[in-house]
Formats: sequence, C-alpha cells, structure tokens
Amino acid sequence: MPKDKGERIVKTQGMTRGEVEAALARAGLEIPEREKPEIAAAAHFIEEMAARLRRKREMGAEPAHIFPPPGE
Amino acid sequence: MVPDFLTIAEAGALIAKRELSPVELVQSRLTRIERLDGKLNSFIRVLADEALAAARAAEAEIIAGGLRGPLHGIPVGLKDIYETKGVPTTGHSKVMIDHVPAQDATSVRRLTEAGAIVLGKLATHEFAFGGPSFDLPWPPARNPWDTSRFTGGSSSGTGAAVAAGLVLGGTGSDTGGSIRGPAAFCGLAGLKPSYGRISRAGILPLAFSLDHAGPMAWTAEDCAIMLQAMAGHDPIDPASADRPVPDYRASLSNEVKGLRIGLIRDFYETDNPANEVMRQGIANAVKVFEGLGCSVRELRLSPLADWAACGVMIMLAEGYAIHEATLRERFVDYGEAFRDRMALGALVTGGDYVQAVRRRRELIAEFAAAITDLDLVITAAAPSEAPTFDSVSKFAILERPSLTMPFNVTGSPAMSVCCGYTSAGLPLAVQLAGKPFDEATVLRAAHAYERATPWRSIRPTLLPS
Repeated sequence: MPKDKGERIVKTQGMTRGEVEAALARAGLEIPEREKPEIAAAAHFIEEMAARLRRKREMGAEPAHIFPPPGE
Repeated sequence: MVPDFLTIAEAGALIAKRELSPVELVQSRLTRIERLDGKLNSFIRVLADEALAAARAAEAEIIAGGLRGPLHGIPVGLKDIYETKGVPTTGHSKVMIDHVPAQDATSVRRLTEAGAIVLGKLATHEFAFGGPSFDLPWPPARNPWDTSRFTGGSSSGTGAAVAAGLVLGGTGSDTGGSIRGPAAFCGLAGLKPSYGRISRAGILPLAFSLDHAGPMAWTAEDCAIMLQAMAGHDPIDPASADRPVPDYRASLSNEVKGLRIGLIRDFYETDNPANEVMRQGIANAVKVFEGLGCSVRELRLSPLADWAACGVMIMLAEGYAIHEATLRERFVDYGEAFRDRMALGALVTGGDYVQAVRRRRELIAEFAAAITDLDLVITAAAPSEAPTFDSVSKFAILERPSLTMPFNVTGSPAMSVCCGYTSAGLPLAVQLAGKPFDEATVLRAAHAYERATPWRSIRPTLLPS
C-alpha cells in the first residue's frame, strides 16, 4: 500500500491562468470571459490528479483496456 | 384507492392476483405527478396518453392469462439519456433538445418487453455530468425529503420520482456514482451492476469505459426485479458481457449468515471524512450485518484519492472526446456547470490518460486480491446527508475524492442502501460492493439488511404543488 495513505488531493504550484487560457484557446473553446478565472482556478485539480497517477512502473506495465483480438 | 406508495414487488403481486388494475395504478401515478411534481421537477416529459394506452393493453393481456412477470403493468421512469423511439431524448440539454431517436435503448426495450410501462422521461444532470444546474431548458429535480436540498446526481429525476412515489422504479446511469449518489440522498436502493451486465446501447454516453446502466427503486428486491429484465448480453454493445444471468429475485431468499464482509473504513474516516451521523449510520449497519451472522473485518486499500484521480481523468478524457466538436461549436449552449467542468478535459494529455488506464489495471488487481477471501465490502456511499443546493460547488466532484468512483474503476457491482435518517428526517446510506458479476450477493445482503431494519417503512411527507 502506498505510504501516502489517507492523503487528500493537495494543491500544487501549477499552470498560470494565462497558460490555462492558452491551452483552452488552442483546444478551440470559446469560453465566456466571466468563466475563465473559475476554470483556471480549477486546473490545479487536473495537475494534481495527473501527478498522482504518475509513478514508478515497469516499462511494460499495461493499461487496463488492452483487449484480446476478436475471435479469441 | 391505490396507496400513495407501493413497491414493485407489492404492486406486481396485487396485479398478479388481479387485485390491482394496471390502468388504475398508472392513472394514480399520473394524478400524483400532476399534484406533486410542480415542486419536484423530476419529470421533463410525461407520456400520459402512451402510458395509459400501454396500461390498458397490459390489463387486457393479463386478464387473458398472459401475465409476463412481476414488471407487467408497473409504471417506471427513464432518465433522459435512455433513448426512446419517437420520444425526444435530450440529456436534459439544449444541445440535444430536438433529438428524437429511431430506436429504444436495449435496456428500455427489455423493460417494456417485461411489461413495464414508461410514464415519462426523467430529469438528469446535463449529459449525466453537469449539475445541479438552473440554466438548462428544465429546472433541476428537487429532493422529496426537503425540496431545498440536492437530490444528488446525475440520476436526479429518478431519485426524486421514486422517493416521491411518482414511479415505482426507474433507470439510472452511473459513471462515477450517478446511481448511488441520488439513491443515497433520496433514500432509495440503487444498484450499479458490473460493467457489461446491462447493455449501454442507446444510452447517451459520458465515458465509455466507466458508464454503467442500472435500476433505482425503493427496495433491493425491486432492484432485483428490474435488473432481471435489464440484464443480459447485447451484441450491439461492445462492452456487453456474454454471461449467464442468474435469478436475482430467487437468490434473495438465500442465507446471508456466514457472508464475509470487508469494511473500508479509511475511505470515509480519513480520505473523504463523513460527518458523525453518517459514520454512526454505517457503524449501526455493520452491527446489523454482524447480527445477521456475517463476519466483518477491516479492509485497507490505496487512498481514495488514487481511485478518484484514476476515474476522474478517464471520465474527463473520454467525455471530452465525445463532446469536443460540440464544445467548440456551441460552447454556451451547454449549461455552465457542464461546459466549465468538461473544459478541464482539454487539459488532460494523452500521456495523462494512458497513465490513468495503467493505474486502473493496478487498482483492479489490488481490489481483486483484497476481496479474494471476502464476499462483499462495505463503505460509505456519501459523506453526508443531502446538502442544500447553494452549498454544491461547480467543481465539487474534484474537491473531494468520490466514495463511489472506486467501483466504477473496478467495474464491480455496488449498491447504495438506506441505513437510517438524520434527526431532520434526511436519509443516510451505506454502500455495498461485491465481486464482478456477483450482483446476486450484493442484492441478497441488501435485502436482508432492509428486512432487518425499519427504514423501508418510512416515506417522505409531500405537500401538493
């Protein structure tokens, strides 16, 4: 079991508001000005979750959605 | 005079004995909807004429000796992401407000073939994700136990309609807890079956690899009756499992004595701390199970935040892919909660998604190993009773790790069961989860618990609209 048992999602130093807005604009989303600060403020959740999912693994550690070929 | 509240099992027995007419039952629910739903907003479309016609046909068939089973003549509601032939299926969204499917979803077809009568389409969080929202074409459903409170989501209308006795059962979908959350807040039994047990074909998707369809009803027995009709292999759904479907209702009468239960206390004591009344409700439920002859031991798993991170990243990535083109073209046609949450999906990289799916394999293996010598696990379904609408934030699903998401990640059957009420009369809930495709044990334990406790005899007090 990981040592961080019980840890809640914690804030990290993440993307700036400008970086988040640039990423959303690159994605082609036309977001109302009023909503941009809120989305940017929530972006740290994505960074924290992404960080939590990255851990030392064997190179060959498979994802869950590898499937048998049809007919197997 | 048809009682205000009936379970599917009770109504089915009366219909079978010809002591209750499907027409009278359906008419009584339509009258109840007319009287109460102005306050609850659980329906976004009532199909009164169609339901009465179906009820008359059911009655004639039953009188002619053609009773199909315990769902014959039973009024149900469908979350408005379940496609219905010739009837708009909108996802509670302006984006699909004109969508009229050419076919029923497989699960809808199976329910109607079993004799269920569809009273209408029920409110949902927008595309089973955004919400509660006040900027959509229809208002959000309200909790029958206290209309200032949230129903939970995303199967919000089903939670409200079943709790209020407007329908006897309904359909939900569950990508991270959308059956179990509203079941918990509205005091129902809500079952998310194993991934693959019920066809997803014809249900608007949120996240392909996490989406589960399932029943919501007043009791575990009613969920068993609905699951019996809805379950089974469907070649149209690539995730559909080709496995035998047991007789769920018959298995309810099997012994629960000797069941081995793991209690995942860390999830709701440290990882997403439940309030005191919810913890006490769960502790009392554990005592009931021990009193029924089950053994309960502590079970420790990876932190809840790991399960939540895995599930949320997959959900955002898959959901964003589904809505990407429309978000680009019609961003403001979505409600604010949906669009702002889903916009975060644009920040999830391909690498993030694959890491999430690699973590998923690890977590599935961890859970399988942890329950090798167990039959069930117990944990919280929600950290508290239903909150007020104004206390639910736009990014609530990210702020605290979900207590229900672990079993979407594993694809295991999981169920919310009412385990008491607060001093203000709001429902409390416990979550039971089992081994993949062992819904029968989950339902059996839930049924035994319901019979051993008084909670199913308490219904909300409702005032006319």
